[in-house]
Amino acid sequence: MKPPVIWLGTNTCAGDSLSFLNAYDPGYQFFINELVDFRYNYLIGAAEGNTSIQIFESALTELSGQYILIVEGTIPTLFAGMCSIIGYRNGQPWTALQAVKELGAKARYVIAAGTCAAFGGPYSSDPNPTRSLPVHKVLDKPVINVPGCPINPEWMMGTLMHLVRYGEPELDDYNRPKLFYGETIHNLCQRRQYFDDSIFAKKPGEPWCMYKLGCKGPTTYADCPYRQWNGEHLSWPVKANTPCIGCTSPEFPDGDMPFFSHLPDVKLPGIRLSANRFGMLTAAATALGIGAHLAGSIVNGRLFKTWQKGFGTKPKRK
Amino acid sequence: MLTSFRKLKKPRHSGVIRLLHWSYTPAMFASLFSGLYINKPRRFLGFRSMNSARKTHFISQFVLLFSFLARVIYGLQNKNYREILPNRKTWKNLPKFLKYELFLTHKNPKFPKYNPGQKILFSGLAVFTLLQVITGLGLYASSSWQKLTKLAGGLNPLRQLHYLLALVLSTLVSGHLYFVFTHEPKKLKSIFTGYE
Repeated sequence: MKPPVIWLGTNTCAGDSLSFLNAYDPGYQFFINELVDFRYNYLIGAAEGNTSIQIFESALTELSGQYILIVEGTIPTLFAGMCSIIGYRNGQPWTALQAVKELGAKARYVIAAGTCAAFGGPYSSDPNPTRSLPVHKVLDKPVINVPGCPINPEWMMGTLMHLVRYGEPELDDYNRPKLFYGETIHNLCQRRQYFDDSIFAKKPGEPWCMYKLGCKGPTTYADCPYRQWNGEHLSWPVKANTPCIGCTSPEFPDGDMPFFSHLPDVKLPGIRLSANRFGMLTAAATALGIGAHLAGSIVNGRLFKTWQKGFGTKPKRK
Repeated sequence: MLTSFRKLKKPRHSGVIRLLHWSYTPAMFASLFSGLYINKPRRFLGFRSMNSARKTHFISQFVLLFSFLARVIYGLQNKNYREILPNRKTWKNLPKFLKYELFLTHKNPKFPKYNPGQKILFSGLAVFTLLQVITGLGLYASSSWQKLTKLAGGLNPLRQLHYLLALVLSTLVSGHLYFVFTHEPKKLKSIFTGYE
């Protein structure tokens, strides 16, 4: 029996569903015909209103513990979750928060599709007015995270394939399948030799290592360099001469911005500085402190007296 | 010959302390400069390529780690840590020490082996070096130390923390070097010869 799949859209740009439709080998046709019993997708489903809600009702009653729930987007928690409504159930708005909790509790597996669902991503970035949370923070059960902004179709297809054919794939500490997120982009990059030889691009568009432009490859776990995008494996950001922005990382985007800078900004109360400027200011403050003390020691005559004493005498015998 | 050595007064710094000091000093400088190059590759930092900077950082981090650990073990075994770690007396003497260092008095207070400033600085160096080694290992073996990465909020925040700790260590080392060259040259001599 093919496992039923419900793909729920919460606070999302729909990028992950659209990217997934570009799956090539296996493709979307194989997915719906051979792999799973695709019951619902918020973007491409033909059902509307009560017909849609009936799909969830039947999943909750007849398919409990059998279906795979895929959630795309963050779950807003402020205003009783009213910032994201799945539909009207029994005449009442059914919020994403309620839907994810209810459907998640009875699902066999829960997959968070995209960085928003997995870690919060852009939809819960500062100032996060709806207090949006990733899926694992609203559910009391393990969630398989398939991050990416958007996801590479094969990351999702491969994870689903593994779940259906072999069970749960090996996961890392962030619950990402090691199959796709087991190595850094930097270590897989075609331009790695340029990095080792310090041949760096000075501006986007140059065919060298993007490290000096703030490439997040060394801190990002994903297989983009050899899997490439989309289904046809044509290109990926560095191949297109732009730096990686680390979209599969849990801290994306707040924790790795600015994208074109090596380090995130230093945030102090009321001040935001680039890390290098903060470093220069620290060096200047240290030099100023030492300089002031040295000047004081010279003016005071203390330094002269100290040096006059010299290196002391030879070690004495007892 | 051996007897005459034995008759010498107790050295200010034992041979082991001096050996370890001169192991982690170059390692600290090599780690700092190679680290600055890795952060922002610039020729004036003395490296020809990222490869050489990374190799230097790799070797120096292990020299630093092992000499640091050896120093901690030695300090614990000989109860030498008592001379370094600040105690209640240190904090009590701190205003007196600061008064002199801020030129508010001419009276140079006398302290045992280390003054409160040195105690705070050396303890700070020990704590921040340890944190630097831990964050460095987290970046070096990020897939096996993912729990640590998680604790820091991700690899980018961990990388930033490593950079900020490098700034703290550079500041402390600068302070140490300044005082070493401007306060009592005989004490500076003792880290080479052992004796004042």
